[in-house]
Amino acid sequence: MAVTSEVEKRSASKAPGVNGAEDPGKGQSERERLRMMMLIRRFEEKTEQAYKTPRKLPDGSVAQLIGGFCHLYSGQEAIAVGIAAVFNKGFDALVNGYRCHGHSLALGMDPRAAIAELFGKETGCSKGKGGSMHLFQAEVGNHGGHGIVGGHIPLGLGMAFAQSYKKTGGVTYCLFGDGAINQGTFNEALNMASLLKVPAIFIVENNGVAMGTQVERHSAEKDLAKRGCGFNMPHYHVDGNDVDVVMEEMKKAGDRARRGEGPCYISADTFRFRGHSTSDPLKYRTKEEAEKAKLRDPITLYETRLREKGLLSDEQQTALEEGVAEEVNRAFEMAEADPNPPLDSRFDDALSETYPYQPK
Amino acid sequence: MPVIQLRQALREAMSEEMDRDENVFLMGEEVAQYNGAYKVSEGMLEKYGPRRIIDTPISEAGFSGLGVGAACMGLRPIIEFMSWSFTWVCMDQIVNNAANVRYMSGGQYKVPIVFRGGNGIAHQLAATHSHRMESVYARIPGLIVVAPSTPAEAKGLLKSSIRCDDPVIFLENEKMLNEMGEVPDPKDGDFTLPLGIANVERPGKDVTIVSYGRALARVVRPAVEHLANDHGIDAEVIDLRTLRPLDTTTVINSVKKTNRCVIVDEDWGYCGMGSGILFKLQKPLFDYLDAPIEYVHSDEIPVPYNHYLEEAMLPSVDRIVASVKEACYR
Repeated sequence: MAVTSEVEKRSASKAPGVNGAEDPGKGQSERERLRMMMLIRRFEEKTEQAYKTPRKLPDGSVAQLIGGFCHLYSGQEAIAVGIAAVFNKGFDALVNGYRCHGHSLALGMDPRAAIAELFGKETGCSKGKGGSMHLFQAEVGNHGGHGIVGGHIPLGLGMAFAQSYKKTGGVTYCLFGDGAINQGTFNEALNMASLLKVPAIFIVENNGVAMGTQVERHSAEKDLAKRGCGFNMPHYHVDGNDVDVVMEEMKKAGDRARRGEGPCYISADTFRFRGHSTSDPLKYRTKEEAEKAKLRDPITLYETRLREKGLLSDEQQTALEEGVAEEVNRAFEMAEADPNPPLDSRFDDALSETYPYQPK
Repeated sequence: MPVIQLRQALREAMSEEMDRDENVFLMGEEVAQYNGAYKVSEGMLEKYGPRRIIDTPISEAGFSGLGVGAACMGLRPIIEFMSWSFTWVCMDQIVNNAANVRYMSGGQYKVPIVFRGGNGIAHQLAATHSHRMESVYARIPGLIVVAPSTPAEAKGLLKSSIRCDDPVIFLENEKMLNEMGEVPDPKDGDFTLPLGIANVERPGKDVTIVSYGRALARVVRPAVEHLANDHGIDAEVIDLRTLRPLDTTTVINSVKKTNRCVIVDEDWGYCGMGSGILFKLQKPLFDYLDAPIEYVHSDEIPVPYNHYLEEAMLPSVDRIVASVKEACYR
C-alpha cells in the first residue's frame, strides 16, 4: 500500500470549505481581520522587547529568551491577514521565507506555540528545533518558515505541483521578500511553474529593502512587478497595506489557479516598520520615509475604513486592543514557563524510518 | 535468473514502483521525450505518459526543490540528475530542504524522495563533470546515501529507496550502466534489498577490503582475483551498498576476524568517503588490527581530461595489490 504523508492524512477527511461564509454579526469578519493584524503587531512588539531584554537567572547569570536571528513583520500585516482570509485550510498551502511570524499567526497558530518556538521550548510549534525563522504548522497548510533567502521558492513550486498532480483543488501561496527575487531559484521556479501550469501564486512582499539594500540598489528593474516578465504569467502590483485589496486580489489569483489557468506573480508593496532583524538599527532609512510610511500603517488604514463604514466603535476598538494585549501577554508568560525540550530529543525527527530499513 | 544491463535494472525498479504506487513519478532533464540522457528511462514516457514522466528545463535547483516540496505533500518523486556533478548548483535544495525540513519542523514531514543519477568519473569529462559526491552527501544527517555495484543491487536498492520515507541519494555511475548481471525475475516476486546493511560478497581470511559502487566493480573485484591467484592472499570483500547510515557492524566483525583492513574508493583521500569510514573504525578496531588501515583513493588533484592522466589518478588493481600486501606485511 502506498505510504501517504502525515500532512495528507490529516487533511484528507475535510471537504473544501468556503471562507468567511458565516458572518453572524455585522462586521464580525472585518473586526476579526483587524484583530489579527493587531495581534501580530502586538506579538512582534513583545517579541522585540523579549529579544532585547535578557533575563536574570536565580544563579546570577543572564539568559537570552530568544536566540539567533529574529525578523519582525510589523507594517506588513495586511498581506498575511489578507491571504489567510481566502486560504482554504487543509487544502491550500503557504510557504514563506524567514519573516514568518505574521503568516503563522494569521493561519491560526496558537501564539503560545509561536513564541514558545522562539524561546526554543518543547511546546514550540517545531519543538524548539526551528526557532524564529522556521515556524511550521503542516496540518493547516503552513509549510514554514525557511531561512535561506529564496531557497524555498522551488518548494512552493513542488507543493503546487503536488496539488495539481493529485487534483486536490488546493493552491499554493509562495511568499518571499524583495531580496529573494535576485536568487536563481526565483527564475527557475517561476519558469517551471508556468511550463507545468501549476496552481501557484508567487508573492513578493516588497518592503523596499533587502536587509539594508534598497530596491534601487539591488534590482536593475526598479518596478518589481516587471521582474515577472518573461514567464508568460500575469504579473502586477497590489497594495500590500490594504487588507481588503490583498484579500480581493489573492482570491482572484487563487480562483484563477484553481481553474487550472496557471500561476501568477504579484508584487505586494508594503513597508516594514522595524529593522531587517532585531539587531538592525535602521540607519539606512530616513525619518521622512518612516513618517510617510506611518501614514499608511495597514492597521490604521483598516480601522479608519471600518469606522467610516460603521463597523467599528470606540468600545469595540478598545476591546480588541485589550484583548490582543492580554492574549499575547498570557502566551508569553506561559511559553516562558514552559520546559526546554529534553536533551535526548535532539536525536528525534531527523529521519522517518529506522535503519536497517527493509521495505514491506 | 535473467541477465540484464544495470540500466535496465534501474528502469525495472522505477517501473515496478510506479506500477505499485500512483504517487511515484520521474522528473529530470531529458527523461521523457529524449528517452533519458543515458537511456535509463527509455520507453517510460510511452508507458506512463507525460503526467508521471516529466521533462524539465536545465534548472537543477528548480526541479530538485520541486521534488522536495512535492514529497512534503505526500508524493514520491524520483528526481534524475544527468550527473551528480551538477548538484553543486542545487545543494541548498538537497541539504537545507530535503535533509532538514523534517527536523526543523519538529517531525511534521516525511520526505520520501529519491535523487538519482551518475556519480563519479565517467571518462574524459574533466574536472567539473567528474565529481565523486558521496562524501559530500554522506556527512549530512537527514539523508540516506546508497551506491550499488551490480545490476541486482541497482534494482533491489532503488526499489527500497523509492519506498523509503526518507530522502535518498542514489549514486549510479555512467560507465556502469552497460554492465550485465543476474537480476531476479519479477515473476518470482518482489525483489528488494535492505538499506543500511553491507554485503560480505566474498568471504576470506587474510584481509578485509571495504569498497562500494564503481571502485568495487572496476578495480576491487579484479584485484581480489589477482591477490588470490598470484599472491596467495584470501581477501574478504565487503560491499557497503549504503554509505549513510554506515553498517559498521559488518565491517568491524569482518576485521575482527582478518585483523587487516583496506578501504578502496574513487574519492579524494582527505575528508573523502574512506576517511569517514576510517573514523568509524579506528577506535573499535584498535586492539584487533595487526597493521594500520590502508586507504586507496584517487590522487588529490582536479580530474584531468587526458585519458592516461585520468586513469593514473584513479585507484588501480596495482595500487590495491600493493596496499593489501603492505597491510599483510607481504
